[in-house]
Amino acid sequence: MIKMDITTLGGSLFGTIPLGDIVLYVTPFHLFMFATVIVFTCLIAISRTETQIEAKFKSLGNNAVSVGLAEFKIRRFLSIVCGLATAGAMITGDFFNFILFVALIGIVNIGIVSAVKQVDVLDAAFQYGLGAMISSLPLFSAGAMMLAATGTLSLFELANIATITPMMIFSAVLFLIGVAGETGIAPFFATKAEMFRTPGSPFLLIIHLSSLFITIRAIEIILIILT
Amino acid sequence: MAIELVPQFVPDIFLSWYAPAVYTGFIVAFIGLMGIAIAKKDIHILILTDIVGLSMLVVVGATGTDLAEALILPGLVVELAEIMAISEILVSREMRKNNGSSSLLPLPIVSDMEIMTTAPNFLSLVLIGYGVFLTGFTGGAVAGAGILLYIFSKKSRGLPVLVIDGIGAVSGLAWCLWIVGFLLFFIAPEYWLLSLFMAACGLLLKVASKLGLIGTLMREEYKRE
Repeated sequence: MIKMDITTLGGSLFGTIPLGDIVLYVTPFHLFMFATVIVFTCLIAISRTETQIEAKFKSLGNNAVSVGLAEFKIRRFLSIVCGLATAGAMITGDFFNFILFVALIGIVNIGIVSAVKQVDVLDAAFQYGLGAMISSLPLFSAGAMMLAATGTLSLFELANIATITPMMIFSAVLFLIGVAGETGIAPFFATKAEMFRTPGSPFLLIIHLSSLFITIRAIEIILIILT
Repeated sequence: MAIELVPQFVPDIFLSWYAPAVYTGFIVAFIGLMGIAIAKKDIHILILTDIVGLSMLVVVGATGTDLAEALILPGLVVELAEIMAISEILVSREMRKNNGSSSLLPLPIVSDMEIMTTAPNFLSLVLIGYGVFLTGFTGGAVAGAGILLYIFSKKSRGLPVLVIDGIGAVSGLAWCLWIVGFLLFFIAPEYWLLSLFMAACGLLLKVASKLGLIGTLMREEYKRE
């Protein structure tokens, strides 16, 4: 089996930022992901919401669904928080910090759609919230069990551990389950797209974007730990 | 491999408790999940989901080191934030369905007890003194309980907005103090004593003023008749 460590996955190591126990490491992969998310967050921060036009059933009229100013402000704020949390998850060098960022993204995703007026969207958001809350069990358990199995949570240290114990594998499986549930991807929640079928487009897209980025980074972390 | 991680002075019985604690957490979560599968009403599902979330705390707490303790608090906060967000969704959905509205806090309640007019001065003084002596989160909670008791049981109402805003501002500034103290831990570990005291006093002021603010708001609501 090929030994995958930080440099084979992320390119050459530019350096580390030691903050006491937490050591951030900078590679081209992480920098690129971080910069992309920051650019998207800036675009979202300066954009305005669209007004959705719905055709009326059994008549020829149109129905414009727009977003009020108060709701617009709350939604923009939560989207920026979501973008910053995603950016943080891209650059972090700590296993538990990543878990916390993922959990924060889950909460903020619920918050973004919590004020919409469509019952269907609220229904989907409620189901997603239940899934996210249940999957916080495997997510946080993964962090605690990784700590119990190896004695460290720093990815920089975890990459250097030579022997893989069964408990580390179990913890990584739990981590995968937790991330999948928290970002709302297929085996847990197939209808996350229902959540953003509501006006206020650019802000709602961060729900989707964050889960894509988180999935990529989670796979990288699992590869770092297990190989 | 796993044994080498544990220092020598940890008794064997603590080590042998790890596996039963983890199993307990997973079994509780499994029971909660079965309950979710059976339950029909949304509110029941929400409450049962909380059981699954709490069993997460059992699994995290099973590790039992200082770092695991640092993992429990964020876990608890995330747990609370999620259940609040989901219940907000549930409330807003039911409102949408029924086109109705109800107050968030079904107050006022009538309670007229003698202890609320005679004791608060002394009790709150003792609580605040003890809280300042403790410092940190616990001290903040104790001192805050004192302030809450005092404000809640005072008869006069109609506190000027400036005072409420002032308490909020103290809370915010104390929060900054806590964050700066925490950051200093990482950047300059040699000033650990300074940063420890900054964090402890900041947390004391923050928690105390936040609880006092709750007392103010509740009193305003409660004395309205």
